[in-house]
Amino acid sequence: MMSLEVFSLQDKTALVIGASNPIGRAVAVALAEAGADVAVATTLPSKREEETLQACFAEIRALQRQGFTQKIDTTSEEEVSSLVQRTVAELGRLDILVNAHDLPFAKPLSDVALAEWRRVLDVNLTGVYLACRAAGGPMLSQAKGRILNMVTLLGERGMVNGSAYCAAQAGVLNLTRALALEWARQGITVNAIGAGWTEGMELIADPALTQQLTRYLPHRRLAQPQEIAGAAVYLASDAAGFLTGQVVWIDGGVRSRL
Amino acid sequence: MNVLEKLRLDGKVAIMTGAGRGLGREMALALAEAGADMVAAARTQAQIEETATQVRAIGRRCLAVQTDIINSASVNAMVEATIAEFGRVDILVNNAGGASSGWNKPVEAITDEQWRAGIDVNVTGAFYCCRAVLPQMIRQGGGKIINVTSGVGVRAMRYNFMYATAKAGLINFTRALALNYADKNIQATLILPGIFPHDDPMMLQFWQGGKFIPVGRPGKDEELGPLCVFLASDLSHYMNGELVALEGGGLAGGQVPTGFAPVLPLEGVG
Repeated sequence: MMSLEVFSLQDKTALVIGASNPIGRAVAVALAEAGADVAVATTLPSKREEETLQACFAEIRALQRQGFTQKIDTTSEEEVSSLVQRTVAELGRLDILVNAHDLPFAKPLSDVALAEWRRVLDVNLTGVYLACRAAGGPMLSQAKGRILNMVTLLGERGMVNGSAYCAAQAGVLNLTRALALEWARQGITVNAIGAGWTEGMELIADPALTQQLTRYLPHRRLAQPQEIAGAAVYLASDAAGFLTGQVVWIDGGVRSRL
Repeated sequence: MNVLEKLRLDGKVAIMTGAGRGLGREMALALAEAGADMVAAARTQAQIEETATQVRAIGRRCLAVQTDIINSASVNAMVEATIAEFGRVDILVNNAGGASSGWNKPVEAITDEQWRAGIDVNVTGAFYCCRAVLPQMIRQGGGKIINVTSGVGVRAMRYNFMYATAKAGLINFTRALALNYADKNIQATLILPGIFPHDDPMMLQFWQGGKFIPVGRPGKDEELGPLCVFLASDLSHYMNGELVALEGGGLAGGQVPTGFAPVLPLEGVG
């Protein structure tokens, strides 16, 4: 027997890193709608990211939830660490970490400079490791926590000119599995949400590509960021304590097709 | 609409096969809690009547229909009874399935009858149920199909051939449903439950109390319901053809030395 109360995130706190992109923003707002207090941070500080972040936080405030915004460089060990400390200091605890870091990148491999490769891996993969490690502090001491890593279809499928990005995303997926096992007995679940092609994704900003994709997708349309975010509420809730080390794909059936 | 309200199933009608006990009953009650009226289908009338009594205690309607899912006429009659009673079918959960201890044997020893029986109960029954509900779902403009598979559908166990084959077949049947009925607003997904011993002490003993499961325990019955509600609800609307494993982390590591291995000795399993 259950009640829908099991899905509520009332009295929980969340930190969403990368709330400056459409999916991260939608997840942050969904967690707040479900009752959580939510701190939101950028992936990388830029004017556009900061504007999206402020808009996201305005939605959270409109829902009467607590939180704050912080622009950080997610590849900086110190900045990530102090972000987690600030979350615990201001919101009281840290129950849910969402890693929505995203630096889209597409370039023929022959032209990818080593510095570019390292940058893409740093932001998309190493940043997730830094955030997990930092969040592990409070989560391990309270013996409870939820970590959600946001990835895309490119974590599992290849794409022309996507080598660096695809490698980083696949890294996040297997980091998810390994860390899930490592912290399984400490009450922390670690899962990924695999987004299908979603409105606002920079890699498919070209209208011709979007049109081509739409014909290919069984649902005949891109996902709305809010449709990706629904699973985050379930996975972050007390209802999902037995679910760990998994990728929940929300892709409009595209992985099912040949 | 608030994200939590999207989980409500008010006004929807759900069919649960294998609803007479265990996880099927648990999921039926969860869907009812979320607001759905239920059809409890299984072979044993007394058991589905008990499920129906519990659903009604939650305040939802429930029709108990004795059904043998390996008999297509019986399945068709159950779906007709559902439509006669409620006028619609929004959610179908293909939960019925299972194995007989007499099926645990090497390939050389499996008879034609045993092979067919194992395939029938674990995948053909789901096909019969889908075939029966799809015309109604198409007429009413959409629906959700949730198929219950198993860890044995993605990895093998010793001497478990029909179950392994059928449960894997059910996974790709689900993908095919997703692809073919997406444009009819019908989504098909899968639940993969791990070890849920519920009322079966033998099962708990067989799985050694779940000590090899990464989270350190088997699943609790009440943990399955919320996943079923999520997949049946509008909150998972863009999810199609996908599987959600609720199993405590075992599949993330599998048989590699994870800190929780060895799982079970190869000999004697099954």
